[in-house]
Order: sequence, then structure tokens, then C-alpha cells
Amino acid sequence: MRSAGSKRLSTLLTYAQFVLVSLVIVVPVAWMLAASFKTSAEVTAYPPRLLFRPTLANYTRLFATTPFLEYTRNSLIVAGVSTALGLLLAVPAAYAVSWYRITWPATLTLAARMAPGTLFLLPWYIMFSNLGLIGSHWTLILTHTVITMPLVLWVMMSFFDAIPREVLESALIDGCSASAALLRVAVPLVRPGIVVSTILAFVFAWNYFLFALVLSGFSSKTLPVAAFNFIGEGATNWGGLMAAAVLIALPPLILAFGVQRWLVHGLTFGAVKG
Amino acid sequence: MPRAHDNAPGSGGAYWMLIPAVAFTVILIGLPFLYTIYLSLHQFVFGKDALFNAGRNYLLMLQDRLFWNGLWVTLLLYLISLALQMAFGLYLGMLLDRSVWGRGLLRTILISPFVMPSVVVGMMWLVILDPSIGAANYLLESLALPRSTWLASPLLVVPTIALIDTWQWTPFVALIILGGMQVLPIEPYEAASIDGARRWQTFWYITLPLLRPAMITAATLRSVDLLRFFDTIYITTQGGPSNASTTLNIYAFRVGFEFFDIGYASAQMITLLAIVFGAVMAFTQLRRHTL
Repeated sequence: MRSAGSKRLSTLLTYAQFVLVSLVIVVPVAWMLAASFKTSAEVTAYPPRLLFRPTLANYTRLFATTPFLEYTRNSLIVAGVSTALGLLLAVPAAYAVSWYRITWPATLTLAARMAPGTLFLLPWYIMFSNLGLIGSHWTLILTHTVITMPLVLWVMMSFFDAIPREVLESALIDGCSASAALLRVAVPLVRPGIVVSTILAFVFAWNYFLFALVLSGFSSKTLPVAAFNFIGEGATNWGGLMAAAVLIALPPLILAFGVQRWLVHGLTFGAVKG
Repeated sequence: MPRAHDNAPGSGGAYWMLIPAVAFTVILIGLPFLYTIYLSLHQFVFGKDALFNAGRNYLLMLQDRLFWNGLWVTLLLYLISLALQMAFGLYLGMLLDRSVWGRGLLRTILISPFVMPSVVVGMMWLVILDPSIGAANYLLESLALPRSTWLASPLLVVPTIALIDTWQWTPFVALIILGGMQVLPIEPYEAASIDGARRWQTFWYITLPLLRPAMITAATLRSVDLLRFFDTIYITTQGGPSNASTTLNIYAFRVGFEFFDIGYASAQMITLLAIVFGAVMAFTQLRRHTL
């Protein structure tokens, strides 16, 4: 038996560890945020300045001197449409997988998850060049659906699994076709799952770097690739770099906080419950 | 008995719903994969016919110093990162399991590193780790430690990238461990408490073995990503300085998209896939033997 005093000490130690861990995670992000509000003289000042007069100059210059809005639009189109396409392909598939209790389609998408993205890039590059589609939004939408579809499939499978079988069976007995059972009975029941998988798919399509690095053209460049190019161009303009980084990170951060319970579930392909 | 009438008419009829997803997977993943195997057996230059060269691309790897360098960097980065992430992840997951005020808030903070785009994480650390004006060196100096060149040092670049990846992905491992902690049975702990076991004994002989499935899940998922390490390296160092951070994936990418030696790059990517596949199989076996 431990005394009350040693128990209080151990609680205190636990809190101390919590604070330390939070600091390790938060401080670098806070540093980036602070740098985005500094003037270029302050960003490169050494020793680094903790106190400074915040300015929005980096943000206004970002929009004034780069086509940042156009990159944002490209990212929205690519992440948005590939999410929609992922849902369209994977929701019926997840329903069928769950109904028949089969695993091979899910395993198939898992196998795709194992391959290095670079492995697909060469054939895709050749494929889309032959179709004259390099640099078009469709190339990026289709390739990013490779990210979104498996994610939706794995999240939706567990939501469909949770529907009592009798509910669907009685719909079928009442003369519903399979597609009517899916659309009118199952989908309304898994609406939260659709919200979760939409958000997760959007976040990971938004973040994805490699495919757009090779397959995007001048007019379809997404934000991560544009930001990567900023590093090369503007090694001196760090404030601007950090402003871009903050703006790109904001949508996934905000969206992911809303579905944090499901985040790990979606990323571990169902191995861990939310 | 739901299985009994799966084949009965009108009782399912949902098989066709798999077709779009499977067709998409075959066209965008299956065929490109087969094409990569085909390319890996040919000498291929854009605009010319592919010439079959009977595995010469694979033989070339054996003599290519940069390939072996890539393999070495990949394995080194993998082992350092995996060890750090599993150790810290285990610690953090168990910490998160304690019931204290603000646990939900910490969970929210914890997910931010791995939902940030890798480009953002890379840019953030480039600024913090800058050898001349970065905050990291200022921190070292304040602690009376020597400054470091971090990503610019051939010797330190791999450990530094491992640290960045550990910052980003340890929370993910921790949340998997936490998932494992939450389903631990209570009986072994009661028995241990009755037997007067010490805390480290309980941890070593009860918690750790019970957490093995969660740890293997985490290790498998991290292995898949770490062995194909690309984003953060390409963003921060592009494989430098002097190839010290050129992983197999980075090297294969450069061979393919900078030197346009498509056949040779394909052979490397198939090799890398085989390595990833081997690691996944090994962990699957390990998992089977622990359950």
C-alpha cells in the first residue's frame, strides 16, 4: 500500500510528463506559427527572438506575389473530387464486402498500400503521357483516388458491419433491390461513417505529396508541391515559407480534430478501434 | 445462419457493387504493377521500343555502389526510427492511459503531427534546424553544448531525419498502444497485486506481453512507411549531403525521373517492394506466434 503523499507525488509526476510531452509536440508548431508573423529581419535574427511585433506582411505578400489562390483551388479540386470518387467506388464495395463477409477486396487494397508510390509513378507517367493527360486535373484526381478509396473502404466496412443483419434482410424480403437496400436503408444508418471517411479521405488526399510532384503541370500544381518549390526559390524568405506552411496545414488540422476518434482506426485499416 | 441464403435469388444481389472498386484497383494499381515488372526486365528509354535485357537491370544493382548505399541508408534509417518510435510510443501510450484531467486535450494535441502534410513538417524542421540561425542550435548553445550542422552533416543527417519522423509518428504509435491498453484484461493485474508484484515486474511480465499484438500492429504499419521513406527526405535534403540520406526509394526515384533510366528504376522499385513485403510477412508470422 502506498501512502497518500507518494500518491500525490506520482500524480504530480504524471502531470509533469504530460506537460513535457505536449511541449515537445507544440513548441515546433508554435515556432512555425510565430515565424510566419515575423518580418524577414526577425525570422533570421540570431539569437532567435521570442518577443516581436506580429505582422501579416508574409501572408499578404504570399497572395500578392504567388498564385497561392490558384494552388489552393487545385488542391481543393484534387482532394475534393478524389474524395467524391473514392466514396462512389468504395461505399458500395464496402457494403458488399460487409454483406458477403468476404475479405479479398479489402486485402487487395491493403497490398496496394504496401507498394512504394514511386513504383506506380513510372507506369502512370507513361500511361497518362500517352493519353496526353499529364498536367491535367484528372490525372491527379484519379491517382489520388488510390489514396482515398482504400481509406473509405476500410472505414465504411466497420460501419456497415455494425448494422444488424435483420434490418437489411427485412428490406430485401420487402422487395427492395440490393441497390435500394444500400441507398434507402444502409446509407442513412451509416451517415456518421460517411462523414468520417469523407473527412479522412480529404485530409490525406490534401496532404499527399509524391503523385503531384511528378504528375502535376503548371496549371494543376497542388499546395504541397507549390510549397516544396518555394523552398528552392525562396531560401531567404523564410517568413513567407512559414506563412505558406501554416495555411496548408490548417485545413487538415481543423478537419482531423473533428474525427480524431476515427483517425487511428482509418489509418490502421481497422486494426485499432477508435 | 445468414450464410445459408446468400446464394438464394434476391437475397443479396450486391456482388456487382464490388465491380467499380475492383476495376479501378486493377486499372490503376494492378496493371501498372505488372507493367513495372515488365519494364524492370527491359532497357527502356522514352520514345524508343523497350529492349528485353534478361534481368540485366537486377544484376546491375549488385554492382551499383549507390544501390548498396541506398540499401544501407534505408535499413539504418528504418532501424533507428522504428526503435525510437516503438520505445517512445509505448511510453506515451501508457502515459495516455492514466486517468488525469486534460487527457482528451492531450490526445487532440497528439494527432496534430501526423495529420500535418509532410511538406509542412519538412519546412518547419528546415527552419528550426538551420545550422546558422535555427532555434535548435540556440537551444544547444544555451545548454552549453556545441552547435550542430544537423541535416547538412553527412554523419548526422540520417539520425536527424529519424528524429523528425519520430516527432511526427510517435503519437500515432502511442494511440495504437493506447487502443491496446484499453482492452487489457483486469484479472492478471489483480493476481499480480495479490502476489505483491512490483511495478516493473507487472509491466515486464504482464503489460508488455499483453501489448504485443498492438505493438506488432504498430511496428508493421511503421515498417511499411519507413522502408519506403521518401517525403521528408525529398523535401529537406533530396538525399544529400553527398547521398548520405539517399534511401532506396529516393535513389530509384532519381534514377527514374532525373536520369530517365526507367528499366533500372523499375527493377529497384520491385526490389524495394519485395523488401517491404518480406518485412510485412515477418511481422505477420510474429503475430501468429504470439496469439
